[in-house]
Amino acid sequence: MANTVIGSSIVIDGEISGDEDLVIQGTVKGKISLKESLYVEGSGVVEADIETQNVEIAGRVTGNIVASDKVELKTDCRVVGDIKAPRILIADGASFKGNVDMDMKER
Amino acid sequence: MATPKELSSSNNVNNTVVGPSILISGRLTGDEDLTVRGRVEGELTLSRTLIVEPSGVVKANVAVKNAIVSGVVVGNINATESVELTREGRMVGDIHAPRVIIVDGASFRGRVDMGDVEPGRLPAERPTVARPTTTARPTTTPARPAPPAARPTPPPPPARTAPPPAATRPAPAPAAPAARPGAKPMPPPPPPTRVEARPAPAPVEQATSAEPPSVLGAGAKKKVVVKKKAR
Amino acid sequence: MATGETGIIGKGIVIKGNLTGGGDLVIEGRVEGQIALKNHLTIESTGKVQADIRAEELTINGEASGNIDASTRVAINASAKVAGDIKAPRVVIEDGAVFNGSIEMDVKLPDDI
Repeated sequence: MANTVIGSSIVIDGEISGDEDLVIQGTVKGKISLKESLYVEGSGVVEADIETQNVEIAGRVTGNIVASDKVELKTDCRVVGDIKAPRILIADGASFKGNVDMDMKER
Repeated sequence: MATPKELSSSNNVNNTVVGPSILISGRLTGDEDLTVRGRVEGELTLSRTLIVEPSGVVKANVAVKNAIVSGVVVGNINATESVELTREGRMVGDIHAPRVIIVDGASFRGRVDMGDVEPGRLPAERPTVARPTTTARPTTTPARPAPPAARPTPPPPPARTAPPPAATRPAPAPAAPAARPGAKPMPPPPPPTRVEARPAPAPVEQATSAEPPSVLGAGAKKKVVVKKKAR
Repeated sequence: MATGETGIIGKGIVIKGNLTGGGDLVIEGRVEGQIALKNHLTIESTGKVQADIRAEELTINGEASGNIDASTRVAINASAKVAGDIKAPRVVIEDGAVFNGSIEMDVKLPDDI
């Protein structure tokens, strides 16, 4: 249930936590920790460390990402930071700078 | 969770929604409507309307154009247009807005500052968003005809002069259904808060005692103390 | 209605001093001082009250300034202009009304606030 949407004009400077899906079309700076999925849409800008189960990124993320399941970098996304997750998908056209850690122990 | 979901299905017209399990703490700013079903703490600044739904909790200093509170707000609200506490709304804090509406059933502790305006004036603008739990007022009329004649709630003065105490909620109840076509069923009558209402007899007895002035004096002196307790 | 009697202070009347009583009261004129009423007080749109008010229930269509203590309910209707501090279990402010002051009701907040 994608109950939570942070619209494109919204800027959040702080922490977001919760256990439902989160869609970001706006700007979030700080920290995000979720038990479900995070979607950073094309207009979304995240300058935050992210801790979640799944992440799909089409926008811009600066920060470290730890996912318990999967990280997906979509075409045209720009991600700077380290990614740690058992499954990582990087689409053609995605831009990414950072380290990838797919340590099998996690899964 | 059932209630907020029901509400969302018919009123999901806003861009930004903070879901029931989400906590945002920090500073939130934006130029769109924001619906809170979860929790927001810190500071909240919007150039449009904040809607706190019954499951929502806002513990923040709020600066918005309009605020509609059906959930809980702890903090001050500064609105350039209006603040409305619906029958489920609970708020502790100060309100600064040219228009403040407190519906029967709402509970509030704090100061209200509407500035120096004329009563019964016609507001220039109305919130244009869906008003999920508003009672007693039409949602479909952005600008209402001049009160009081066309207003749904208050009958002309003579009609209200001496309603029996039993009919203590004349305004919202009858007006609401007609005013909101297709609206959800009315929420249940006044929240449990009501149970804690101070017992009616006490002041009455005092009022009839031999020294009403002193009773009143005491009431008046409470003024400052009362405000402090509100925090 | 608790009592069958309703007193009216008509438009031309000005009362300065303390006003106490057991029945309902409608004020269409002016009252300055203090009011302690057992039942329902209504301040009509023509009424102007400068007084601390204590009553069971209070309905305001006119002007009131002073502190208000009601044991059941205070209704500030659209045509009203009120300044003062209000203490009552239920307070209603209609759209269009003007109020400046504080309100104290019981507010039941969630435990984790």
